[in-house]
Amino acid sequence: MANVTFRNVHKAFGTYVALENLDLDIRDGEFVALLGPSGCGKSTTLRMLAGLDFPTRGEILIGDRVVNDLAPGKRDIAMVFQSYALYPHMTVGENIGYPLKKRGIKGRAREEAVQKAAALLQLEPLLDRKPKQLSGGQQQRVALGRALVREPQVFLLDEPLSNLDAKLRSYMRAELIELHRRLGKTMVYVTHDQLEAMTMASRIAVMHAGLVQQFDTPDAIYNRPANRFVAGFIGTPPMNQIEGAVDGGDFVVAGHRIPIDRTAFVDSLRDGPAVLGVRPEAITIATGEGLPATVRLAENTGHETIVTLELPDHSRIAARVEAARRLDVGHNVALRFDPAAIHLFEATENGARLNRDETPASVIPMRSK
Amino acid sequence: MKLLRPVLLNVITWALVLLISFPLIWMIVTSIKPQTELFRIPPTWLPETVTFEHYWRLLSETSFLLYFRNSVVLATTTTLFVVALGTLGAYSLVRFTYRGRETLAMLVLFTYLLPSVVLIIPLYLMMVSLGLSNTLFSLILAHTTFALPYALWLLRSFMEGIPEDLENAALVDGASRMGAFRDVIFPQLLPGIISTALFTFILSWNEYLYALVLVNSEAVAPLTTGVMSMLISAFNIEWSLLMAASVMMSIPLIVVFAFLQSYLTSGFGAGGVKG
Repeated sequence: MANVTFRNVHKAFGTYVALENLDLDIRDGEFVALLGPSGCGKSTTLRMLAGLDFPTRGEILIGDRVVNDLAPGKRDIAMVFQSYALYPHMTVGENIGYPLKKRGIKGRAREEAVQKAAALLQLEPLLDRKPKQLSGGQQQRVALGRALVREPQVFLLDEPLSNLDAKLRSYMRAELIELHRRLGKTMVYVTHDQLEAMTMASRIAVMHAGLVQQFDTPDAIYNRPANRFVAGFIGTPPMNQIEGAVDGGDFVVAGHRIPIDRTAFVDSLRDGPAVLGVRPEAITIATGEGLPATVRLAENTGHETIVTLELPDHSRIAARVEAARRLDVGHNVALRFDPAAIHLFEATENGARLNRDETPASVIPMRSK
Repeated sequence: MKLLRPVLLNVITWALVLLISFPLIWMIVTSIKPQTELFRIPPTWLPETVTFEHYWRLLSETSFLLYFRNSVVLATTTTLFVVALGTLGAYSLVRFTYRGRETLAMLVLFTYLLPSVVLIIPLYLMMVSLGLSNTLFSLILAHTTFALPYALWLLRSFMEGIPEDLENAALVDGASRMGAFRDVIFPQLLPGIISTALFTFILSWNEYLYALVLVNSEAVAPLTTGVMSMLISAFNIEWSLLMAASVMMSIPLIVVFAFLQSYLTSGFGAGGVKG
């Protein structure tokens, strides 16, 4: 059993609080991504799990064992570093064999384990080379090999793909998903790239300012963001957030009314200031009735067009339309929002989402046709 | 004009080389001239007869070998001390965070800026009260104190160049802190250690002032002061013996330097840029 538990973990560096009351329950065999902008505390979380940093208070458990005071080498974990951290003076074979050497595994047993890991990652022809003679992708695979070789309970991956070029990154992403499926081990993956988190993880912990904002499946994170930060962090472009006020059955923006279904929101929703959230794909650009807007920019990426629109209150939002659609800059249009895709948030800086969770929000497709 | 430029540059360069190396060449030439040829005017540029009698006299009739042994013990032990302390100190300054770390590093450098003459009397009194006066160990301690600051800064800049992730990776892979240091940090630091060792060895081998003040018995004198007191008296300077001794004093340095020169220059480079 290798579930990983953070119990009320707090970490401060002097007066700077890096993590506050972190509670995470990672199940055995799960692939969890820690996602957030730099400085959010995700790497600190991983380093504490590895034993390279220590919590100011709280408990970290691997399986049923509290590991707070356990040396990194005794935690039965393996880690892949962003810089790969390959030992420059050792060959690829020696690098992969090092964790075994440190555990007293000698001779044939070690050799066979190294061969097995090398075969899994197609590194056999490179075993006698030094790290500096390898390409970035090859170095990355050696780092993975070193982590795989002694079959640890938990794999920790600290932005392992961020030094690769785009093509290799998408290839390695698929490789890692396949690897996780084959090994079935718990993996904790730190990244600032939402695409990696969304495609690889079974659950994502979105972190910001030392706090976990939401810990849920990629689908839930996308369709039911817990608060304005998550809504504004996930999605390219992210969810639009329009400031206005709730007034009976309408949301009012600069004097224009957008009808909302009050039953879709929590009972505590009151009339007054609020933020309306809507994904770019849930916006229909039309003429006639709707929220008036002016086209400011149309970016055609080949398979879709991202349109930047200016609202009457001069705020800007993004809409996603099919690539063939022609929209002239400066043109006045009317916007209609898919009523099922409307989110409301408290009007505070990182206001909580006010939708009822059973709303059909979860069935909105990631990309509308 | 095009042809003249490189020729001119070559002439100037070689003139400079000759100017700098002339004392060395003259030292070697003098050491193999017979006594009768030494003060001849005009001087002979190349010896008419080559003799090694001065070397033989130096080795068989004087305490040269004793001084040589003292110098080897002194420079080697100092080097071991400085490298061991410097490596651990640099590791601490780079890897651990604690209050006053930067101040400590600056203070260490500050002691290096003090002229050694200022420290001689306090050091001498300290050695006397420790009961170490007139021992080789007192010289080892003294040399360690003045070589250590620079060594610490040199090693620190080398250490800073070693990514912390390397050590972290070794820790996660099951190594202890000492194990990680031995398996991962040490091999990476080796060029720095070699240049520090060379620097310290040369400094200690050539040091004169401390040796003059802290040690006054022949039994523990190193080459620098031993040879001087043996061959230079108020009435007479034994030039040919002195030159032979100088050649033999230079040989260990030249040999070591020739083998490890590339490390030394890279070390001074690193210290210069970052230290």
